[in-house]
Amino acid sequence: MASEAAYRTNVWVDWCPACGNFGILAAMQKALAELNIPPEKVVDISGIGCSGKTSHFLNVNGVHNLHGRSIPYAEGIKLANPDLTVIVNGGDGDLLGIGMAHFVALGRRNLDIKVIIHDNQVYGLTKGQASPTLRVGQKVKSMPLPNMQDWVNPITVALASGYTFVARAYALWVDDLKEILKMAIRHRGAAVIDVLQPCPTWNNIYTPDFYKQRLYRLDSDKGWDPFVRSPDPKEAAEKLSRAFERAQEWGDRIPIGIFYVNPYVESFADNVSKVNTFYESMPPAKNVIAREDGTPVIDLQAMRSMFRDYVIEVSRNNRRQAQSQ
Amino acid sequence: MALKEVHLILGGPQGAGVETTASVLTASLAKLGYGVMSDREYYSNIVGRHSYVHFTVSATSFPRSLTYPVELMGAMDAESVFTHFHEVAEGGVLVYDTGLEASRLIQVVSMEPEVRARVEARLKAYGVEPTVAGAVRAAKEGLKALPVGLDYKGVLEEARQKLGVTSVEVHRYRNSILLGAAAAVLGLDPDALREGLAVRFRGNKKVIDANMVVVELAMDSVPQAARGTARLEPSSLDVEEMLSASGNDVVGMAKIVGGVRYQAYYPITPASDESVFIEAHQSISVDGKPVGSIVVFQTEDEIAAINSAIGAALTGVRAATATSGPGFSLMVEGLGWAGHNEVPLLITLYQRGGPSTGQPTRGEQGDLLFSLFASHGEFPRIVITSGDIEEVFYDTIKALNWAERFQVPVIHLLDKYMANVIASMRVPDPSAVKVERGKLVLKASGPAKRFDLSEAISPRPAIGSGAITWYTGDEHNEWGHISEDPINRVRMYDKRMRKLEIMDQEIPPEERAVYYGDGDADFLLVGWGFVKGVALDALEELRAQGYHGAYLHLKVFSPFPSRYVSAILSKFSPSRVIDVEHNYLGQAAMAVRMYTGYEISRFVLKYTGRPIYRMELVDAVKRILEGKSTREVLTYGE
Repeated sequence: MASEAAYRTNVWVDWCPACGNFGILAAMQKALAELNIPPEKVVDISGIGCSGKTSHFLNVNGVHNLHGRSIPYAEGIKLANPDLTVIVNGGDGDLLGIGMAHFVALGRRNLDIKVIIHDNQVYGLTKGQASPTLRVGQKVKSMPLPNMQDWVNPITVALASGYTFVARAYALWVDDLKEILKMAIRHRGAAVIDVLQPCPTWNNIYTPDFYKQRLYRLDSDKGWDPFVRSPDPKEAAEKLSRAFERAQEWGDRIPIGIFYVNPYVESFADNVSKVNTFYESMPPAKNVIAREDGTPVIDLQAMRSMFRDYVIEVSRNNRRQAQSQ
Repeated sequence: MALKEVHLILGGPQGAGVETTASVLTASLAKLGYGVMSDREYYSNIVGRHSYVHFTVSATSFPRSLTYPVELMGAMDAESVFTHFHEVAEGGVLVYDTGLEASRLIQVVSMEPEVRARVEARLKAYGVEPTVAGAVRAAKEGLKALPVGLDYKGVLEEARQKLGVTSVEVHRYRNSILLGAAAAVLGLDPDALREGLAVRFRGNKKVIDANMVVVELAMDSVPQAARGTARLEPSSLDVEEMLSASGNDVVGMAKIVGGVRYQAYYPITPASDESVFIEAHQSISVDGKPVGSIVVFQTEDEIAAINSAIGAALTGVRAATATSGPGFSLMVEGLGWAGHNEVPLLITLYQRGGPSTGQPTRGEQGDLLFSLFASHGEFPRIVITSGDIEEVFYDTIKALNWAERFQVPVIHLLDKYMANVIASMRVPDPSAVKVERGKLVLKASGPAKRFDLSEAISPRPAIGSGAITWYTGDEHNEWGHISEDPINRVRMYDKRMRKLEIMDQEIPPEERAVYYGDGDADFLLVGWGFVKGVALDALEELRAQGYHGAYLHLKVFSPFPSRYVSAILSKFSPSRVIDVEHNYLGQAAMAVRMYTGYEISRFVLKYTGRPIYRMELVDAVKRILEGKSTREVLTYGE
């Protein structure tokens, strides 16, 4: 096991005191250390907002990109170099608001990327507007009026989109989160962890007290089995339905833990490999594109052969005729 | 008398195979060693609306422009006759279906009302009935053309009996009537068409034979008087083989040869054919040995396309996207991130009529200034344009090299004309180019200063190289971490912007602007992109009429070769410098003024969505040279 410190940078962590992000950062570092993944093999992709800074605090490759676009960046990186462990840390506004199209698309592709939603129901860095996970009628302290739009449920959206690993965690229960993260990283496919996270500065509704009174662990129910254990589509359908049902629960009791895991769905890389013969052995990042003398590996002969449908040999007779004229 | 150059149109409803017929004819002519260029004009529609392919065929060179009138017009349907009868040259042939003679203009429901009104007025002016027979009479009596009416149904019925197939099956070969008729008028040997069919149908003997039955029946039905009227002299082009492909295809080829291994795109006309081409060639082997794979990623939108391509580029892979105006509009924020983070990225931008949806299947050069300025904030970028499909091939590879050498996004600005033109060229030789990867580092270890300030262009360790690197859209320090420090801001800003000067020093001006002309030229056409071919051809024609001009072909608009262009412009009298573009504003002239202070005051502009034709450019230039006008707006073409 590597040390957690190996995954820390010396950049000062500038989140507000008691921010839920601290728990997510700690869980990330612990999970990577326990899984012993070399930092240079990990890429953390983050969007805009408080959560976006996560990349700078982790001693792994960091791509802090545009608002809502973390998933496309992650997809490009993972498809080009499948050896890398690619993790997205994004806010609820980033992933489920401005970036929702990408969130849904990643699910249907089931590409091996782990998405951590920093779900605090507010846009923190712009001073506390409602995010897509705040319910209608709710008004946190920074809002002048109650929320006029209802929420999207990250769990049901993830399930409907085709994510094959769907979980919810709580930022302050770091060990639980770490364990779920480890499972998500080991899972081969698209994974979502919706991390409930208090925002002590703006969100006076979803406070640690609020959560403490309501959260319960799904696995405290001995009968709860979210893992699809056979390639039988019936089992998957049944477990998916149960996950949907359980995901509706949000009130006096709020479940956290794993909702659904299906390792039997082919990943996007599998599907690429089926039609792209050399992808597995030679993904883009492992291609040599030039010879030692700098010329392209595809020479004139290879070009003629690759694009033979477009190369037309002039008929000999005609050439002779032209020359004799 | 045999001709050096022939022009023709094949027209028919979209989805009825005119394009296939055009490609068979192109292959047949290429087999005979002729240079061919054809422009495909079509509506944003799958089936039913009018489409046509407009060719220039040359016995002496690879054609570079289109012109009217045509020596041959082949019509599959009534709408084609109505739309194009007036474009047939004196002595030229109009091939049409006698079964349609009674068809009235009003019955052509697929025709837009504006077109119909124009055709109606035209027929009226010729004093003929608004029927196919009327249009044919106008061509014959008004234009002194030679109408060749064939009984399409009769030809097909005869073919059906010969082939022993059903009437539904034989209908598939209907377009070969045009092929046969064209062959007869061009004086081609049936064997030439057989070879063309073999290329197009990859040697599928059954299909080739069936088509040949129709071709030969059609050839035989063409009256003696029309045969060989558009005969070309034997080709004097010294080529053993040629590449015959669309601009989209050639960009795809160049990207593959140039090392693009990741292309992301969202479907859009007229760009997606390029990505589809690359996808069809994604597994690469040389001499039977696998050498690589390309990921072609169809994303949920253009935002994902550009940003995923940036992600791939960060791993050290040559990454690209291809789009058109509406897609590029969505990509702009990503472009800024790539510029700010010094990411090599190639964006192939095929302009179409804009703004908004505009004219999706028609050409325009309306996005030059947009390409130069897209994004908030300042950062260096390269904007390169290409004048023909040969330039397109080499420029694509150049663009990939520059992107990596200078660590900048490169916009390769093309247009619908370039995308859809099918032209022949010498097979480009990859050994004539070098792959230059700049300061890419593929093996490293530990945290790295990605934005090392000791040089304007820092070493670029790939993610996955063993290094640990950080990137951010915020202003960053040398490590790629966020920094709002004012002094760091200036140093980092300067580091990026200094690349403008470096590129200006390192890219020879002659690669950025090309002057075509000699000492005796006393006027200058200035253009870019697809204007090149028509400008050069118009100049040849003007020279024959006693006007000696030159052409300044602008290729790279950022970094713009200011001094070089200024020096050329200053050699001409200001009233004899004419900007030629497919837009309203004269955007290249605006760019020239911005970069050089030189104000071009004479314009030939076209924004109908159709390409500039040689004859209309010749006329417009003459009017300007004779002082009759300072701004000519061209409108020829249906």
